[in-house]
Amino acid sequence: MRKVAIYGKGGIGKSTTTQNTVAGLSEMGKKVMVVGCDPKADSTRLLLGGLAQRSVLDTLRSDGEDVELEDVRSAGFADTMCVESGGPEPGVGCAGRGIITSINLLEQLGAYDESENLDYVFYDVLGDVVCGGFAMPIREGKAKEVYIVASGEMMAMYAANNICKGIRKFADSGGVRLGGIICNSRNVDNEYELIEHFAKRLGTQMIYFVPRDNNVQRAEIKRKTVIEWDPACGQADHYRNLANAIDGNDMFVVPAPIHTDELEGLLLEHGVLG
Amino acid sequence: MAEVLAARRGQVTRTGPAPTDLVCDRRSTAGSVSQRACTFCGSRVVLYPIADAVHLVHGPVGCAVYTWDIRGAVSSGPQLHRLSFSTDLRERHVVFGGERQLEECLLELIDKHSPSAAFVYATCIVGVIGDDVEAVCRSVAERTGIPVIPVSSEGFKGTKRDGYTAACRALEQLIGTAPTDGIARASVNLLGDFNLAGEIWIIRDYLQRMGVEVVANLTGDGRVADIRRAHGAGLNLVQCSGSTLELARMMQEKYGTPFRRVSYFGFEDMAEALYGVAEHFRDTTMAERTRELVIEEIQAALPIVQDLRADLEGKRAAIYVGGAFKAISLVKALRTLGMRTVLVGSQTGNAEDYRHLAVLCDPGTVIVDDSNPRELAAFLVEQDVDLFIGGVKERPIAYKLGVAFCDHNHERKIPLEGFVGMVNFAREIHASVTSPVWQFVPRKEQARGTSTFSGKRS
Repeated sequence: MRKVAIYGKGGIGKSTTTQNTVAGLSEMGKKVMVVGCDPKADSTRLLLGGLAQRSVLDTLRSDGEDVELEDVRSAGFADTMCVESGGPEPGVGCAGRGIITSINLLEQLGAYDESENLDYVFYDVLGDVVCGGFAMPIREGKAKEVYIVASGEMMAMYAANNICKGIRKFADSGGVRLGGIICNSRNVDNEYELIEHFAKRLGTQMIYFVPRDNNVQRAEIKRKTVIEWDPACGQADHYRNLANAIDGNDMFVVPAPIHTDELEGLLLEHGVLG
Repeated sequence: MAEVLAARRGQVTRTGPAPTDLVCDRRSTAGSVSQRACTFCGSRVVLYPIADAVHLVHGPVGCAVYTWDIRGAVSSGPQLHRLSFSTDLRERHVVFGGERQLEECLLELIDKHSPSAAFVYATCIVGVIGDDVEAVCRSVAERTGIPVIPVSSEGFKGTKRDGYTAACRALEQLIGTAPTDGIARASVNLLGDFNLAGEIWIIRDYLQRMGVEVVANLTGDGRVADIRRAHGAGLNLVQCSGSTLELARMMQEKYGTPFRRVSYFGFEDMAEALYGVAEHFRDTTMAERTRELVIEEIQAALPIVQDLRADLEGKRAAIYVGGAFKAISLVKALRTLGMRTVLVGSQTGNAEDYRHLAVLCDPGTVIVDDSNPRELAAFLVEQDVDLFIGGVKERPIAYKLGVAFCDHNHERKIPLEGFVGMVNFAREIHASVTSPVWQFVPRKEQARGTSTFSGKRS
């Protein structure tokens, strides 16, 4: 079973990219579980056709400790298994602790057991490695490979660099490695070259360049992945390609985060101003 | 010589021709098992004797349980303070926030017990998850019409002393919220007396006989209504130096209330405290009444104490208590009994207290700040003491070494304040020191001076 965590700046398209990639893997016949690690609990909406399930933490809160796997896990598009960790409303409590609690519970309930015959687990994590809780998916060997979703915009790259610091911290203790950067294009000038150079500087690769396409938004409004909504469209093939790239990936590194000055230099050399 | 961690060397000294100033009032050294409690516990011990208030500990249940009825603070009326209320925070509260749980607990407790006020203690976990305790307190106060006071006592914030500060801030919110009509000129508040074994009643009796009105007890046998009008008193008497001195300073600044540091332990300090009050109010008839009172009390107590002194003459004592100001009184009280203090220390003493101690004690006396069991045990053996005066955490150290022990802390059941308290103190020390059991301690069986136990124990 391959355990994958997806990180990246808030709003960069982590959940969309994850679900479309998972749809691609499922189409290939892989058995995949998606664990949403965001208090908003919207990481599985496209696979499930809506916000159709109760989160782990909501279930724990209302039903107490007596939780069954079936209470918190639902089957989505192409037999994907979907789980939402959930969390507190904005501004209260500790969302990080919530992720620790729900991942521990999933382990206790046997969600990762061999009998589940999973080929992949995807953790879709809220933005950055903000605290111990949000590092949970890459601690203690839970997720072995991380993909960072980024674009050619400076703040997305800044966040990606910061996430690399988190990965490096847990690389020794938990064995986590960076599998690559997924460029989710924002149509920034020279974006392809910029991210390719950026990835190289971090010691990794740009594993795929997903072009910007309004079909993604159209599918989203229909609460579907692109692959389900219009399997024949070009964007669906891009996600299939990304799924293939991840499935065949063999480049796993401990990233070398760069200094902010260097990051800015990269933007000057290859980016919008380059 | 006892083993002292390098980082703590400045917190241990010996009196002599060239004594050094003691390092104190700092955080405990990591790795040293401090005898101190945490910030939360510091707040809890100061406020909890207020008997008609709900004391709600906002945190996991352990914080409330381990401080349940932690002082033997006696009340002449309501016993509400002796219940230990907790919001019982669980994992789900950590994740989703504990504010609603706090609000529900407060409303339930206020409805059930009709308290005069409620104190809400913030513990470590609340500080980490960031519950807005103040906002909840404000809203519940508005809904119920009683003061609901947040105590910012997150355990990790500092030392026990920072907990005292948080408690003083909480009291500050209560003081000055009720009219002060009808309070006499010759009136005092009793700060830093927690009415252990009914001690504050002894002091109140003395003051009454002198013609002094007591406005508020802070906090032993304390009542919310009294504390709200405490700013009307003419003088603050501050006993336990560490815990409420800050409150006295605040009241001086805000209301112009002068304060005097006092101790009610031992003949000397007790008499000095009462004479000081009479002197403060510049009242000759009060001074006369005070003199009569002191004469009467000492005439009754002295013969008993002198009788017991015969057996205690020359015995060696060690003191380790919460505040160093009390330690000063104890050194004097022991001297009244013919005993010599050879080791003295405190959890929260300040530089001034320690300088005073260094002058007061005989040369060669060990003085320690924020000590730990290992140090204390080693010094007890090294100094070959006959008696150890301390609290609940010091008791096992004494008994394991076969040393007589006197509890001068939270848990004592016999009053030790006042002239009558000195008699009780003498009796208790006499009973413990002269107990025949100590002759069977292996250490004592060896001839004094040739002992092989010179600091380290095997």
